[in-house]
Amino acid sequence: MLLDIKNIKKTLKNNHVLKGIDLSIEKGEVVAIIGPSGSGKTTLLRNINFLETADSGMMKFRDQQIDMAKPSKEKILWTRRHMAMVFQNYNLFKNKTALENISEGLIFGQNMEKKTAESLAEAALNQVGLIDKKDFYPSQLSGGQQQRIGIARATVLNPDIVLFDEPTSALDPELVGTVLRDMKQLAEKGQTMIVVTHQMSFARNVADRVIFFADGEIIEQGNAEEVFDHPQNDRTRKFLSAIAEDY
Amino acid sequence: MKLSRIITTLLSGLPVTLTLLVFSFIFAAAIGLGIAWLSLRNSAVCYNISRLYLGLVRGTPPLLMLLLAYYGLPKLFLLVGININDWSKLLFGIVGLSVGWSGYLSEAFRSAYLSVDQGQYEAALVVGMNPSDAFWRIIMPQTVLIALPNIENLVIGLVKATSLVYVIGLVDMYSSATDLSNQNQGVYQLEIFVVLALIYWMIVLAIEWVFRSIKKEYQYVTV
Repeated sequence: MLLDIKNIKKTLKNNHVLKGIDLSIEKGEVVAIIGPSGSGKTTLLRNINFLETADSGMMKFRDQQIDMAKPSKEKILWTRRHMAMVFQNYNLFKNKTALENISEGLIFGQNMEKKTAESLAEAALNQVGLIDKKDFYPSQLSGGQQQRIGIARATVLNPDIVLFDEPTSALDPELVGTVLRDMKQLAEKGQTMIVVTHQMSFARNVADRVIFFADGEIIEQGNAEEVFDHPQNDRTRKFLSAIAEDY
Repeated sequence: MKLSRIITTLLSGLPVTLTLLVFSFIFAAAIGLGIAWLSLRNSAVCYNISRLYLGLVRGTPPLLMLLLAYYGLPKLFLLVGININDWSKLLFGIVGLSVGWSGYLSEAFRSAYLSVDQGQYEAALVVGMNPSDAFWRIIMPQTVLIALPNIENLVIGLVKATSLVYVIGLVDMYSSATDLSNQNQGVYQLEIFVVLALIYWMIVLAIEWVFRSIKKEYQYVTV
Protein backbone atom coordinates (compact mmCIF):
# COMPACT_ATOMS: atom_id res chain seq x y z
CA MET A 1 0.00 0.00 0.00
CA LEU A 2 1.50 3.31 -1.08
CA LEU A 3 -1.02 5.63 0.55
CA ASP A 4 -3.52 4.69 3.21
CA ILE A 5 -5.87 7.30 4.63
CA LYS A 6 -8.11 6.52 7.57
CA ASN A 7 -11.19 8.41 8.68
CA ILE A 8 -10.38 11.89 7.41
CA LYS A 9 -12.87 14.51 8.56
CA LYS A 10 -13.12 18.16 7.67
CA THR A 11 -15.70 20.78 8.59
CA LEU A 12 -15.93 24.21 7.02
CA LYS A 13 -18.36 26.67 8.60
CA ASN A 14 -20.53 23.92 10.15
CA ASN A 15 -20.60 22.16 6.83
CA HIS A 16 -19.23 18.60 6.89
CA VAL A 17 -17.13 18.62 3.75
CA LEU A 18 -15.43 15.29 4.44
CA LYS A 19 -17.33 12.84 6.60
CA GLY A 20 -14.73 10.34 7.66
CA ILE A 21 -13.23 8.98 4.48
CA ASP A 22 -11.00 5.93 4.10
CA LEU A 23 -8.91 5.73 0.96
CA SER A 24 -6.10 3.38 -0.01
CA ILE A 25 -4.00 3.69 -3.11
CA GLU A 26 -1.71 0.98 -4.47
CA LYS A 27 1.52 1.79 -6.24
CA GLY A 28 0.87 2.27 -9.96
CA GLU A 29 -2.86 2.63 -9.51
CA VAL A 30 -4.85 5.27 -11.41
CA VAL A 31 -7.85 6.34 -9.39
CA ALA A 32 -10.50 8.64 -10.82
CA ILE A 33 -12.79 10.49 -8.43
CA ILE A 34 -16.04 11.64 -9.98
CA GLY A 35 -19.07 13.30 -8.47
CA PRO A 36 -21.11 16.49 -8.31
CA SER A 37 -19.47 19.89 -7.80
CA GLY A 38 -19.12 20.92 -4.19
CA SER A 39 -19.08 17.35 -2.94
CA GLY A 40 -15.61 17.70 -1.39
CA LYS A 41 -13.46 16.01 -4.06
CA THR A 42 -11.05 18.90 -4.32
CA THR A 43 -10.98 19.34 -0.55
CA LEU A 44 -9.94 15.71 -0.23
CA LEU A 45 -6.95 16.23 -2.54
CA ARG A 46 -5.96 19.45 -0.77
CA ASN A 47 -5.98 17.68 2.57
CA ILE A 48 -3.76 14.92 1.28
CA ASN A 49 -0.92 17.36 0.49
CA PHE A 50 -1.77 19.68 3.40
CA LEU A 51 -2.83 22.75 1.43
CA GLU A 52 -5.66 22.46 3.94
CA THR A 53 -5.56 20.77 7.32
CA ALA A 54 -8.13 18.17 8.26
CA ASP A 55 -9.96 18.14 11.59
CA SER A 56 -8.96 14.53 12.12
CA GLY A 57 -7.56 11.57 10.20
CA MET A 58 -4.46 9.42 9.90
CA MET A 59 -2.37 8.99 6.83
CA LYS A 60 0.27 6.40 6.06
CA PHE A 61 2.33 7.43 3.06
CA ARG A 62 5.26 5.16 2.16
CA ASP A 63 6.79 4.39 5.53
CA GLN A 64 5.59 7.53 7.31
CA GLN A 65 2.65 7.72 9.67
CA ILE A 66 1.17 11.23 9.72
CA ASP A 67 -1.56 12.71 11.88
CA MET A 68 -3.54 14.70 9.33
CA ALA A 69 -4.92 17.10 11.92
CA LYS A 70 -1.50 17.97 13.34
CA PRO A 71 1.15 17.42 10.70
CA SER A 72 4.61 18.74 11.61
CA LYS A 73 6.34 21.14 9.25
CA GLU A 74 8.89 18.46 8.40
CA LYS A 75 6.22 15.92 7.51
CA ILE A 76 4.35 18.46 5.39
CA LEU A 77 7.49 19.27 3.44
CA TRP A 78 8.41 15.58 3.16
CA THR A 79 4.93 14.69 1.88
CA ARG A 80 4.96 17.47 -0.68
CA ARG A 81 8.40 16.44 -1.88
CA HIS A 82 7.08 12.95 -2.62
CA MET A 83 3.82 14.03 -4.19
CA ALA A 84 2.93 16.49 -6.90
CA MET A 85 -0.23 18.29 -7.91
CA VAL A 86 -1.77 19.58 -11.11
CA PHE A 87 -4.27 22.39 -10.65
CA GLN A 88 -7.49 23.27 -12.39
CA ASN A 89 -6.22 26.77 -13.22
CA TYR A 90 -2.69 25.56 -14.03
CA ASN A 91 -1.17 27.98 -11.49
CA LEU A 92 2.02 28.31 -13.50
CA PHE A 93 4.49 30.79 -12.08
CA LYS A 94 3.76 33.85 -14.19
CA ASN A 95 7.16 35.42 -13.60
CA LYS A 96 8.99 32.31 -14.84
CA THR A 97 9.45 30.88 -18.32
CA ALA A 98 8.12 27.46 -19.26
CA LEU A 99 11.53 25.93 -18.58
CA GLU A 100 11.92 27.72 -15.24
CA ASN A 101 8.44 26.64 -14.20
CA ILE A 102 9.58 23.04 -14.50
CA SER A 103 13.09 23.43 -13.08
CA GLU A 104 12.05 25.56 -10.09
CA GLY A 105 10.79 22.60 -8.04
CA LEU A 106 13.91 20.55 -8.83
CA ILE A 107 16.23 23.34 -7.76
CA PHE A 108 14.38 24.66 -4.70
CA GLY A 109 12.38 21.60 -3.68
CA GLN A 110 14.93 18.89 -4.31
CA ASN A 111 18.13 20.96 -4.06
CA MET A 112 19.33 19.88 -7.48
CA GLU A 113 22.14 21.62 -9.39
CA LYS A 114 20.73 24.27 -11.72
CA LYS A 115 22.34 22.68 -14.79
CA THR A 116 21.02 19.20 -14.05
CA ALA A 117 17.58 20.59 -13.29
CA GLU A 118 17.50 22.49 -16.55
CA SER A 119 18.44 19.48 -18.63
CA LEU A 120 15.74 17.43 -16.89
CA ALA A 121 13.25 20.24 -17.53
CA GLU A 122 14.24 20.32 -21.20
CA ALA A 123 13.70 16.58 -21.44
CA ALA A 124 10.27 16.98 -19.84
CA LEU A 125 9.37 19.73 -22.33
CA ASN A 126 10.58 17.54 -25.17
CA GLN A 127 8.35 14.76 -24.02
CA VAL A 128 5.22 16.92 -24.17
CA GLY A 129 6.39 18.41 -27.47
CA LEU A 130 6.74 21.96 -26.15
CA ILE A 131 10.52 22.38 -26.27
CA ASP A 132 10.17 25.26 -28.73
CA LYS A 133 8.23 27.15 -26.05
CA LYS A 134 10.86 26.81 -23.35
CA ASP A 135 11.60 30.54 -23.09
CA PHE A 136 7.95 31.59 -23.30
CA TYR A 137 6.12 33.01 -20.31
CA PRO A 138 2.71 31.58 -19.32
CA SER A 139 0.95 34.65 -20.76
CA GLN A 140 2.29 33.65 -24.19
CA LEU A 141 0.91 30.12 -24.03
CA SER A 142 -2.54 28.67 -24.60
CA GLY A 143 -4.46 27.05 -21.75
CA GLY A 144 -3.70 23.59 -23.08
CA GLN A 145 0.01 24.34 -23.34
CA GLN A 146 0.01 25.81 -19.86
CA GLN A 147 -1.66 22.75 -18.39
CA ARG A 148 0.71 20.38 -20.14
CA ILE A 149 3.60 22.34 -18.67
CA GLY A 150 1.77 22.08 -15.35
CA ILE A 151 1.81 18.31 -15.77
CA ALA A 152 5.49 18.33 -16.77
CA ARG A 153 6.25 20.49 -13.71
CA ALA A 154 4.61 17.84 -11.53
CA THR A 155 6.05 14.70 -13.14
CA VAL A 156 9.61 15.96 -13.51
CA LEU A 157 9.84 15.68 -9.72
CA ASN A 158 9.46 11.92 -10.07
CA PRO A 159 6.73 11.87 -7.44
CA ASP A 160 5.22 8.76 -5.88
CA ILE A 161 1.75 10.14 -6.50
CA VAL A 162 0.42 12.89 -8.74
CA LEU A 163 -2.80 14.56 -7.63
CA PHE A 164 -4.89 16.02 -10.45
CA ASP A 165 -7.52 18.56 -9.46
CA GLU A 166 -9.92 18.81 -12.40
CA PRO A 167 -7.04 19.36 -14.81
CA THR A 168 -9.22 19.90 -17.87
CA SER A 169 -12.12 21.88 -16.41
CA ALA A 170 -10.75 25.31 -17.29
CA LEU A 171 -9.73 24.37 -20.83
CA ASP A 172 -11.38 25.17 -24.12
CA PRO A 173 -13.09 21.98 -25.30
CA GLU A 174 -10.77 21.50 -28.27
CA LEU A 175 -7.70 21.60 -26.00
CA VAL A 176 -8.93 18.96 -23.57
CA GLY A 177 -7.74 16.11 -25.78
CA THR A 178 -4.06 17.11 -25.75
CA VAL A 179 -3.99 17.25 -21.96
CA LEU A 180 -5.82 13.96 -21.57
CA ARG A 181 -3.34 12.34 -23.96
CA ASP A 182 -0.44 13.42 -21.73
CA MET A 183 -2.25 12.03 -18.71
CA LYS A 184 -2.96 8.75 -20.44
CA GLN A 185 0.71 8.39 -21.40
CA LEU A 186 1.63 8.98 -17.81
CA ALA A 187 -0.80 6.34 -16.61
CA GLU A 188 0.61 3.84 -19.09
CA LYS A 189 4.09 4.45 -17.69
CA GLY A 190 2.83 3.26 -14.33
CA GLN A 191 2.58 6.61 -12.57
CA THR A 192 0.32 6.47 -9.50
CA MET A 193 -2.39 9.08 -9.99
CA ILE A 194 -5.45 10.36 -8.16
CA VAL A 195 -7.56 12.27 -10.64
CA VAL A 196 -10.55 14.39 -9.69
CA THR A 197 -12.30 14.84 -13.00
CA HIS A 198 -15.48 15.58 -14.87
CA GLN A 199 -14.07 13.82 -17.96
CA MET A 200 -16.01 10.58 -17.85
CA SER A 201 -14.15 9.25 -20.88
CA PHE A 202 -10.90 9.48 -18.96
CA ALA A 203 -12.41 7.83 -15.89
CA ARG A 204 -13.88 5.07 -17.99
CA ASN A 205 -10.94 4.36 -20.27
CA VAL A 206 -7.84 5.09 -18.23
CA ALA A 207 -8.64 4.67 -14.55
CA ASP A 208 -8.06 1.36 -12.77
CA ARG A 209 -10.60 2.34 -10.17
CA VAL A 210 -13.45 4.84 -10.20
CA ILE A 211 -14.72 6.42 -7.01
CA PHE A 212 -18.09 8.11 -6.94
CA PHE A 213 -18.01 10.83 -4.35
CA ALA A 214 -20.97 12.87 -3.09
CA ASP A 215 -21.80 14.93 0.00
CA GLY A 216 -18.40 14.35 1.55
CA GLU A 217 -18.55 10.57 1.31
CA ILE A 218 -17.45 7.77 -0.96
CA ILE A 219 -20.76 6.41 -2.21
CA GLU A 220 -19.45 3.72 -4.46
CA GLN A 221 -16.22 2.48 -5.98
CA GLY A 222 -15.00 -0.19 -8.32
CA ASN A 223 -13.59 -0.62 -11.79
CA ALA A 224 -15.04 1.49 -14.59
CA GLU A 225 -17.44 -1.18 -15.72
CA GLU A 226 -18.86 -1.68 -12.25
CA VAL A 227 -19.41 1.99 -11.55
CA PHE A 228 -20.51 3.16 -14.99
CA ASP A 229 -22.44 0.16 -16.27
CA HIS A 230 -23.71 -1.46 -13.10
CA PRO A 231 -23.97 1.21 -10.45
CA GLN A 232 -25.37 -0.18 -7.22
CA ASN A 233 -26.33 3.05 -5.54
CA ASP A 234 -29.25 5.29 -6.46
CA ARG A 235 -27.17 8.43 -5.96
CA THR A 236 -24.63 7.15 -8.49
CA ARG A 237 -27.31 6.26 -11.01
CA LYS A 238 -28.86 9.72 -10.75
CA PHE A 239 -25.52 11.42 -11.25
CA LEU A 240 -24.62 9.26 -14.22
CA SER A 241 -27.92 9.75 -15.97
CA ALA A 242 -27.76 13.52 -15.39
CA ILE A 243 -24.44 13.72 -17.20
CA ALA A 244 -25.27 10.96 -19.67
CA GLU A 245 -24.72 13.11 -22.75
CA ASP A 246 -21.14 13.68 -21.67
CA TYR A 247 -19.80 10.24 -22.48
CA MET B 1 22.96 87.32 -15.69
CA LYS B 2 24.34 84.60 -17.90
CA LEU B 3 22.31 81.42 -18.29
CA SER B 4 25.39 79.34 -17.52
CA ARG B 5 25.68 80.99 -14.11
CA ILE B 6 22.07 80.11 -13.34
CA ILE B 7 22.60 76.54 -14.42
CA THR B 8 25.83 75.96 -12.51
CA THR B 9 24.37 77.53 -9.36
CA LEU B 10 21.26 75.38 -9.49
CA LEU B 11 23.23 72.23 -10.33
CA SER B 12 25.35 72.79 -7.24
CA GLY B 13 22.26 71.76 -5.29
CA LEU B 14 21.64 68.69 -7.44
CA PRO B 15 23.75 66.23 -5.38
CA VAL B 16 21.71 67.06 -2.27
CA THR B 17 18.44 66.65 -4.18
CA LEU B 18 19.52 63.31 -5.64
CA THR B 19 20.90 62.04 -2.32
CA LEU B 20 17.61 62.90 -0.65
CA LEU B 21 15.68 61.20 -3.42
CA VAL B 22 17.66 57.97 -3.55
CA PHE B 23 18.10 57.35 0.17
CA SER B 24 14.61 58.49 1.14
CA PHE B 25 13.19 56.13 -1.43
CA ILE B 26 15.27 53.18 -0.25
CA PHE B 27 14.38 53.72 3.41
CA ALA B 28 10.74 54.51 2.66
CA ALA B 29 10.48 51.28 0.65
CA ALA B 30 12.09 49.29 3.46
CA ILE B 31 9.78 50.77 6.10
CA GLY B 32 6.82 50.42 3.73
CA LEU B 33 7.54 46.72 3.22
CA GLY B 34 7.71 46.23 6.96
CA ILE B 35 4.40 48.01 7.52
CA ALA B 36 2.73 46.11 4.68
CA TRP B 37 4.05 42.85 6.19
CA LEU B 38 2.60 43.81 9.58
CA SER B 39 -0.80 44.61 8.12
CA LEU B 40 -0.94 41.32 6.22
CA ARG B 41 -0.16 39.11 9.19
CA ASN B 42 -2.98 37.18 10.80
CA SER B 43 -2.80 39.22 13.94
CA ALA B 44 -5.12 41.94 15.15
CA VAL B 45 -2.30 43.58 17.11
CA CYS B 46 0.03 43.77 14.10
CA TYR B 47 -2.79 44.99 11.90
CA ASN B 48 -3.77 47.75 14.31
CA ILE B 49 -0.18 48.89 14.77
CA SER B 50 0.22 49.18 11.01
CA ARG B 51 -3.07 51.06 10.66
CA LEU B 52 -2.11 53.49 13.43
CA TYR B 53 1.27 54.15 11.81
CA LEU B 54 -0.38 54.60 8.43
CA GLY B 55 -2.98 57.00 9.80
CA LEU B 56 -0.39 59.17 11.52
CA VAL B 57 2.08 59.21 8.66
CA ARG B 58 -0.39 59.74 5.86
CA GLY B 59 -2.20 62.39 7.85
CA THR B 60 0.90 64.53 8.36
CA PRO B 61 1.93 67.06 5.70
CA PRO B 62 5.45 66.29 4.39
CA LEU B 63 6.62 69.76 5.36
CA LEU B 64 5.56 69.13 8.95
CA MET B 65 7.16 65.70 8.85
CA LEU B 66 10.52 67.32 8.01
CA LEU B 67 10.13 69.81 10.85
CA LEU B 68 9.19 67.04 13.27
CA ALA B 69 12.20 65.00 12.19
CA TYR B 70 14.55 67.95 12.58
CA TYR B 71 13.26 69.38 15.86
CA GLY B 72 11.47 66.41 17.39
CA LEU B 73 13.71 63.43 16.71
CA PRO B 74 16.75 64.74 18.69
CA LYS B 75 14.45 65.35 21.70
CA LEU B 76 13.05 61.85 21.37
CA PHE B 77 16.53 60.33 21.22
CA LEU B 78 17.68 62.41 24.21
CA LEU B 79 14.92 60.73 26.25
CA VAL B 80 16.78 57.46 25.84
CA GLY B 81 20.12 59.17 26.35
CA ILE B 82 21.33 59.35 22.76
CA ASN B 83 22.56 62.65 21.43
CA ILE B 84 21.96 63.07 17.71
CA ASN B 85 22.18 66.86 17.62
CA ASP B 86 25.35 66.66 15.56
CA TRP B 87 23.78 64.59 12.81
CA SER B 88 23.91 66.43 9.52
CA LYS B 89 20.79 68.17 8.24
CA LEU B 90 20.83 65.84 5.26
CA LEU B 91 20.18 62.89 7.56
CA PHE B 92 17.17 64.58 9.12
CA GLY B 93 15.89 65.41 5.66
CA ILE B 94 16.18 61.77 4.67
CA VAL B 95 14.44 60.62 7.87
CA GLY B 96 11.54 63.05 7.39
CA LEU B 97 10.96 62.15 3.75
CA SER B 98 11.42 58.41 4.34
CA VAL B 99 8.83 58.33 7.08
CA GLY B 100 6.50 60.55 5.10
CA TRP B 101 6.65 58.34 1.99
CA SER B 102 6.70 54.98 3.80
CA GLY B 103 2.95 55.05 4.34
CA TYR B 104 2.15 55.48 0.66
CA LEU B 105 4.63 52.79 -0.35
CA SER B 106 3.29 50.34 2.19
CA GLU B 107 -0.18 50.71 0.73
CA ALA B 108 1.19 50.25 -2.78
CA PHE B 109 2.91 47.01 -1.70
CA ARG B 110 -0.05 45.77 0.32
CA SER B 111 -2.60 46.19 -2.45
CA ALA B 112 -0.21 44.68 -5.01
CA TYR B 113 0.41 41.66 -2.79
CA LEU B 114 -3.30 41.08 -2.41
CA SER B 115 -3.77 41.02 -6.16
CA VAL B 116 -1.13 38.34 -6.82
CA ASP B 117 -2.92 35.08 -7.50
CA GLN B 118 -2.30 32.93 -4.40
CA GLY B 119 -2.73 29.72 -6.40
CA GLN B 120 0.88 30.19 -7.49
CA TYR B 121 1.97 30.17 -3.86
CA GLU B 122 0.24 26.82 -3.41
CA ALA B 123 1.81 25.55 -6.62
CA ALA B 124 5.23 26.52 -5.27
CA LEU B 125 4.55 24.68 -2.01
CA VAL B 126 3.45 21.50 -3.75
CA VAL B 127 6.59 21.34 -5.89
CA GLY B 128 8.39 21.16 -2.57
CA MET B 129 9.57 24.73 -2.11
CA ASN B 130 9.61 25.96 1.46
CA PRO B 131 7.31 28.89 2.26
CA SER B 132 10.04 31.52 2.28
CA ASP B 133 11.44 30.47 -1.13
CA ALA B 134 7.88 30.41 -2.48
CA PHE B 135 7.36 33.94 -1.22
CA TRP B 136 10.64 35.48 -2.35
CA ARG B 137 10.91 33.74 -5.73
CA ILE B 138 7.29 33.67 -6.88
CA ILE B 139 5.06 36.08 -4.97
CA MET B 140 7.42 38.98 -4.22
CA PRO B 141 8.64 39.62 -7.80
CA GLN B 142 5.05 39.73 -9.01
CA THR B 143 4.03 41.99 -6.14
CA VAL B 144 6.72 44.47 -7.18
CA LEU B 145 5.66 44.30 -10.83
CA ILE B 146 2.03 45.00 -9.94
CA ALA B 147 3.05 47.83 -7.63
CA LEU B 148 5.34 49.38 -10.26
CA PRO B 149 2.98 52.04 -11.70
CA ASN B 150 2.11 53.18 -8.17
CA ILE B 151 5.75 53.21 -7.15
CA GLU B 152 6.62 55.30 -10.22
CA ASN B 153 4.03 57.89 -9.22
CA LEU B 154 5.32 57.95 -5.68
CA VAL B 155 8.95 58.37 -6.75
CA ILE B 156 7.99 61.29 -8.97
CA GLY B 157 6.07 62.79 -6.06
CA LEU B 158 9.14 62.32 -3.91
CA VAL B 159 11.32 64.21 -6.43
CA LYS B 160 9.18 67.26 -5.90
CA ALA B 161 8.88 66.77 -2.15
CA THR B 162 12.67 66.99 -1.80
CA SER B 163 12.32 70.73 -2.45
CA LEU B 164 10.64 71.07 0.96
CA VAL B 165 13.91 70.54 2.82
CA TYR B 166 14.48 74.31 2.72
CA VAL B 167 12.42 74.44 5.95
CA ILE B 168 15.26 72.79 7.85
CA GLY B 169 17.87 74.95 6.14
CA LEU B 170 19.18 72.29 3.81
CA VAL B 171 20.50 73.67 0.51
CA ASP B 172 19.16 71.61 -2.38
CA MET B 173 18.37 72.74 -5.92
CA TYR B 174 15.27 74.60 -4.91
CA SER B 175 17.05 76.47 -2.11
CA SER B 176 19.93 77.33 -4.46
CA ALA B 177 17.39 78.80 -6.87
CA THR B 178 15.60 80.95 -4.31
CA ASP B 179 18.94 82.08 -2.85
CA LEU B 180 20.20 83.11 -6.27
CA SER B 181 16.98 84.92 -7.00
CA ASN B 182 17.10 86.80 -3.69
CA GLN B 183 20.74 87.80 -4.18
CA ASN B 184 19.65 89.56 -7.37
CA GLN B 185 16.61 91.22 -5.84
CA GLY B 186 14.34 88.98 -7.83
CA VAL B 187 15.32 90.51 -11.16
CA TYR B 188 16.11 87.15 -12.77
CA GLN B 189 13.46 85.28 -10.84
CA LEU B 190 11.49 83.99 -13.82
CA GLU B 191 14.58 82.76 -15.73
CA ILE B 192 15.87 81.01 -12.63
CA PHE B 193 12.60 79.24 -11.92
CA VAL B 194 12.11 78.17 -15.52
CA VAL B 195 15.60 76.60 -15.51
CA LEU B 196 14.80 74.96 -12.16
CA ALA B 197 11.56 73.52 -13.53
CA LEU B 198 13.41 72.15 -16.56
CA ILE B 199 15.96 70.38 -14.37
CA TYR B 200 13.23 68.79 -12.25
CA TRP B 201 11.48 67.81 -15.44
CA MET B 202 14.60 66.09 -16.72
CA ILE B 203 14.97 64.14 -13.49
CA VAL B 204 11.38 62.98 -13.86
CA LEU B 205 12.01 62.03 -17.51
CA ALA B 206 14.96 59.91 -16.41
CA ILE B 207 12.80 58.18 -13.80
CA GLU B 208 10.08 57.51 -16.35
CA TRP B 209 12.69 56.02 -18.66
CA VAL B 210 13.94 53.68 -15.93
CA PHE B 211 10.42 52.44 -15.16
CA ARG B 212 9.62 52.07 -18.85
CA SER B 213 12.71 49.90 -19.28
CA ILE B 214 11.72 47.68 -16.37
CA LYS B 215 8.22 47.28 -17.77
CA LYS B 216 9.61 46.42 -21.18
CA GLU B 217 11.97 43.84 -19.68
CA TYR B 218 9.01 42.10 -18.04
CA GLN B 219 6.36 42.76 -20.67
CA TYR B 220 5.39 39.09 -20.92
CA VAL B 221 4.94 38.70 -17.20
CA THR B 222 1.30 39.67 -17.05
CA VAL B 223 0.18 39.36 -13.48
